[in-house]
Amino acid sequence: MIGFLQQAITGLMIGSLYALVGVAVVLVYKSTHVVSLAHGQLVAFGALFFWLFFGGLGIPFWISLIPAFVLTALMGLLIERLALRPLIGQPLFAAFFMTFAIFIVLEGIFVLYLKGESRALPAFLPTGNIEIYGISMPINQLISFFVAILLFIALSLIFRYTKVGLGMRATAEDHRLAQSAGVNVRNIFSYIWILSAIVAAIAGIATANVMDIYYMLPYIGINGLIVAICGGLDSLPGALIVGLFLGVVENVGAGYLDPIVGGGVKDVAAYVVLLLVLLIRPYGLFGLVRIERI
Amino acid sequence: MRPCGVFDKSYTLDIAIIRTWQHWVILISALILLYIFPLFGSYYLISLMNSLAISVIVVLGLQIVTGYCGQISFGQAAFMAIGAFTSSILTIKLGFSFWIALPLSGIVAGAIGIIGGAPSLRIKGMYLAMATIAIHFVVIWLILHLEITGSFKGLFPPPPSLGGFEFDTDERMYYIIMTVMFIMTYAARNLSRTTVGRAFVAIRDNDLAGEVMGVNLYYYKLLAFFIACFYAGVAGSLWAHWITVVDCEQFTLIHALEYVGMLIIGGMGSIPGVFFGVLFIRILNEVVMFTSPVLAKALPWLGTSPAAALGLTAFGLAVVIFLIFEPRGLAHRWEIFKASYRLYPFAY
Repeated sequence: MIGFLQQAITGLMIGSLYALVGVAVVLVYKSTHVVSLAHGQLVAFGALFFWLFFGGLGIPFWISLIPAFVLTALMGLLIERLALRPLIGQPLFAAFFMTFAIFIVLEGIFVLYLKGESRALPAFLPTGNIEIYGISMPINQLISFFVAILLFIALSLIFRYTKVGLGMRATAEDHRLAQSAGVNVRNIFSYIWILSAIVAAIAGIATANVMDIYYMLPYIGINGLIVAICGGLDSLPGALIVGLFLGVVENVGAGYLDPIVGGGVKDVAAYVVLLLVLLIRPYGLFGLVRIERI
Repeated sequence: MRPCGVFDKSYTLDIAIIRTWQHWVILISALILLYIFPLFGSYYLISLMNSLAISVIVVLGLQIVTGYCGQISFGQAAFMAIGAFTSSILTIKLGFSFWIALPLSGIVAGAIGIIGGAPSLRIKGMYLAMATIAIHFVVIWLILHLEITGSFKGLFPPPPSLGGFEFDTDERMYYIIMTVMFIMTYAARNLSRTTVGRAFVAIRDNDLAGEVMGVNLYYYKLLAFFIACFYAGVAGSLWAHWITVVDCEQFTLIHALEYVGMLIIGGMGSIPGVFFGVLFIRILNEVVMFTSPVLAKALPWLGTSPAAALGLTAFGLAVVIFLIFEPRGLAHRWEIFKASYRLYPFAY
């Protein structure tokens, strides 16, 4: 039982990172109706920018967060301005393909920069373990878990109570209606991309805290997309719940099934969960079921 | 493509793919050129042509399921892998000849493709695209972890042989690959004009409207997936017996994305577009391959071997540019060119 709980808790920590990326994807989908594959790269570049200032130049932690966020937000903004805005009015697939093309472009740049090596962040959170009822938890992962939860609550509050949040919700409902009600839809798109790029950067930095920055990092973003789709593309709580759940399933599944099938359950568990969820609930677990009209 | 003044005087003429005698001359001379190409083509050009033709077969399948039927599939590389491994297992472990393994691997890939396409009955759009990515990873994972597929080491299928004649060089394989490609292109071109093709287009344009008009969604969506995966399986089989080494590194998600990129650049819903797209991307790749050592020398910060990363970047940028400036792909340009050729010398 302790073993199971231990694995579940570790999974919960990793799941919080997935949930963050998923939240970033959901943010973009909710208001622009673009399903973004590009967030995987925003995660990776967020971590990379942070490494450049923190690990590379040796700037203190809190100060190097700022340029990392600014640069990632700028990237998100540029993606929206240069690539996605010309596609407004085109079929939705065009935007989806666009984000995957951006994923590939940035993947090329990422690989070009790393040249097959990996970058390790110096430890910036307290290390060591806390033990509760015999379950040990690394403190740094615990901190990033709570950061994720706090961030999620903050985002929910922004969406619920601020004027910008209201504009975002209105835009999500209908672009044209929002525009005629006086919402500046184009500005909202920019804000959304900046916000979700920063969320992705936080996820990237938190991930880089747990593992090295290497060529597989962007693929964490694909896991984030899986989280967003399993939870329903337009549901923020869905992303959080499914993200945590996915982390647990991956870790527990790996713990119990790896000895049976010979390893590698972690790589595929998320995809199996996705297929099962889509077969049972085609619009995700918490997504809005859309009724189509001809 | 016909000049002005050529009219269809009968129904057979109207539905003919090849309409004038000039077209026949062009087609036959092109085919002859294609088949005598190994006599004067260099080793490099021949192997390039082989890989081009195999990509064409894969993208033709993708064109049918995505371009005609509107079901986005990122699983094409995985189904190519299924074809390649099926063919290898059939020839190595069960002793089948290549000529039986080739269609069989297509059928096996198609059958698994039906399972893979089954979610398309309930989910569509982005959800389906994501599901096919999931299928890709599950398939590749299974191939890596099953005993029969040689696990991480891969398999080493023999080159095909016919009555003691071994197709063991690139030039010899060239004839098989080109013949298969020609047959597959012919089939795809005709498929798009039959009941099935029209049903696919109806599903693409609006599946609910299509269903109301009597298109059996259940049947046709699965059929589209079967055909697409059949193409991928055949291409995989050809690939396996040409390269004679198959492992999972040859069928990654990046490959699947590349096939979709070829489709976008070539143009959805057009068979010539497949050729344009494949040619464009492959030529772009080759250009990057040749220029990257020069670039690496001029710009030392790029590192010693930037070819792979630069190729990815160039490919992604090409797709971005096409999506913004010519979302209908090169096939649309080709149609414009054909229209202006037909009207020449009049303005309209």
